[in-house]
Amino acid sequence: MEAASRKTKPTFGFLTVTDHPQYGLFGGYLVLNMAGRPLEFHCTAPIKPNRAQEILYGRTLEAFIYGEQIGQTLINQSSTSTQLVFTDREPALAARQHVSAPLVMVLPSDPRIMPPVEGDSAAAAESAKTFRLDTAHDGGPRLALFQHGGNRLALPERDDEDRRLIVERLAELDESFDLSEPFERIREAIEEARQAAR
Amino acid sequence: MTFHWHAPPPPETQSIDLTFSVRRYGGPVTVVGPPCRRPLNFEFARPRVVSIPITRPPVRTRSFRFAEPDVAQPPPAVSKNLHGRAASNGALGGHTRIKPPGDILSGHTRIKPPNDIIKLSDRLEYLLQPSLESLLDEGLLAFPQRPFPFQFEGIAFLYPRQAAILADEMGLGKTMQAITAIRLLLRRDEVKSVLLVCPKPLVTNWRREFEHWAPEVPVIAIEGDQAKRNWQWRLPDVPVRIANYELLLRDLGGSMDGSDLHFDLVVLDESQRIKNRASSTNRIVRSISRRRSWALTGTPVENSVEDLLGIFEFLAPGFLSPEMKPRSIGRSIGDHVLRRTKEQVLADLPAKLVHDAPLDLTPQQRESYRLAEEKGVVRLTELGKSAAIQHVFELVLRLKQICNFDSATGASAKLERLDADLEEIAESGRKAIVFSQWVGTLRILSRRLERFGPMEYHGQVPFSRRDSVISRFREDPSRHVMLISYGAGGVGLNLQFVNYVFLFDRWWNPAVEDQAINRAHRIGVDGPVCVTRFLMVDTIEERIDGILREKRELFDSIFSGTEDRRKLGLTQEELFGLFRLKCPSGPIDLAA
Repeated sequence: MEAASRKTKPTFGFLTVTDHPQYGLFGGYLVLNMAGRPLEFHCTAPIKPNRAQEILYGRTLEAFIYGEQIGQTLINQSSTSTQLVFTDREPALAARQHVSAPLVMVLPSDPRIMPPVEGDSAAAAESAKTFRLDTAHDGGPRLALFQHGGNRLALPERDDEDRRLIVERLAELDESFDLSEPFERIREAIEEARQAAR
Repeated sequence: MTFHWHAPPPPETQSIDLTFSVRRYGGPVTVVGPPCRRPLNFEFARPRVVSIPITRPPVRTRSFRFAEPDVAQPPPAVSKNLHGRAASNGALGGHTRIKPPGDILSGHTRIKPPNDIIKLSDRLEYLLQPSLESLLDEGLLAFPQRPFPFQFEGIAFLYPRQAAILADEMGLGKTMQAITAIRLLLRRDEVKSVLLVCPKPLVTNWRREFEHWAPEVPVIAIEGDQAKRNWQWRLPDVPVRIANYELLLRDLGGSMDGSDLHFDLVVLDESQRIKNRASSTNRIVRSISRRRSWALTGTPVENSVEDLLGIFEFLAPGFLSPEMKPRSIGRSIGDHVLRRTKEQVLADLPAKLVHDAPLDLTPQQRESYRLAEEKGVVRLTELGKSAAIQHVFELVLRLKQICNFDSATGASAKLERLDADLEEIAESGRKAIVFSQWVGTLRILSRRLERFGPMEYHGQVPFSRRDSVISRFREDPSRHVMLISYGAGGVGLNLQFVNYVFLFDRWWNPAVEDQAINRAHRIGVDGPVCVTRFLMVDTIEERIDGILREKRELFDSIFSGTEDRRKLGLTQEELFGLFRLKCPSGPIDLAA
């Protein structure tokens, strides 16, 4: 009964990866209901790419680990089908190729950290509609920026066909929802789980 | 996936003796070599392949699933409470659009799991909840006014704890924090039955506060005759019961079989009432069947660390032992006690200006005082080893009364000073409260301060009249002073409209004095609060003041983690020492 009702209620996933200087990468995935309450939490054991992976994957390594190894694994662990998956780590967007729900990146709210979103100002209107987070390399996807309330969001251009679906599903979210807040919860939960495992 | 590379030719092929000559400056390359010793074999061996497997070990994961609360579910009995008052539902919507944790409103106060929650899934369930502020923003809980950030922290502290002391300084809203935490627990079905125990004069205040902060929660105050109380104790569908300590002793201490009663949460307000572990009150509250135990007090340590032991016997029996040193106790209780002072959390609260007013006795008072002290000391000396603590007390009280008034002439340096101060206060349209430990003193003051429209609030004012006394004092501009006894008015009164506090005589216990002062200096006060502590020079009051200062330092030593090596209570030596007498026997515990 409960499982059935879960399927009918919209839920949203939040995916992030933390980098622990000693242990490596920890992935965390939190599924929230419409009231922002937790329904599921999944996290990984620490992951450290070996030297061969670093050499052979080259600049695609992050996308492989964040998106394929961590993102795909965690999202598929969930028994809840989510409307959207949000992430605050750009390489995790690569998980889109392996999961059914659209992935959207939540950008830092401080406009000094990221380029202005289209429409923010006249200057912004002049700026490109897309940008790449790692302009020093060719590996990162080009991102299209958009805004939902106070949240600055980004979608890889390669996933442009998700755009309509994302806009539809975002409409269920109140514009004042702070989409960066759940990532704080995940990071605390990952740290708690890490300490418990010691 | 495998990565391949071509290995160099095997070594045997390198033994062929070839000479290569390359023409300089370009042109075709010619191979000129000596005659071969054996025919050249141009069939190379197949290159050796080395494979490096790029493994993809499975990622180990841990999963946690949580029960989904039904946020669309209205709170229990939301329509009416037991008083027939329609409850405002706090804007509980149905299943609507998601609202923000955080939002534009600042503050992300989240519930942290206490240390005694061991299971990781339980800890994570707390950690992963949205902020308390978001409940407000969602409209899931309506508040008449937005709580302060430190109050959200207090709620987040209480909510997950089985055993907790909220020990905020008076005036910081312990009542509101406890009510909101109870409200959240009820909403989430984590508790269904709550018993709140408080001093009798505060029952009305608690009811009023519940109506203010949790209007949808049905509350009943246990009162009336025995039959009615029996019914009230067992009334179903009432999540919150309020009982006073005296009634609790009467009902659960003998006149009623309460063995079938069970509460999910028992909250003790002014929990210093159970500081004495051997007292009946302590024994009775400990006997109540319950899952969670909370204590609310602004003064967890009034006299000695023993006070804290008494409260912890209720919260977590055996958690503290009398052998523990203050520093060790301070470390142990850290996760169970939350204590904030106004200075820490209310930077914007108007100042509390405390000053001692040292006064000289009038000549008549000085003469009476000298005679009484001499006579008393002579008597104590004569009693010798048979002198008991009550003999010293009698003398102390007699001398303190003379410091207030000379009984023969009515002369009083304190009154002269108070009268002058009130003159100025009344002229400025302000109000003052005056504390004394004696109703007799208050009565005299009432007569002699007639022109300031004095109101009285003490043990001889019936409970039924007390609320109206407060209302009249607040609303009537001709009432400039209220005369209050420490016993009746030390706790539970909200007198934020008062700007002047006078301690006409001093209590034994600085915590009680603080409580009195904080009737006025609390959230909502609209200006600085001036506190005047009268102190008669070269009298017993001055000597007692020294002891009070030491008690204050004891409190600080426990709650700031500093070592305190001094004796913790008021010893018999110290008491006799007030009169420069030697103590006839060992130390005693002097509870005020």
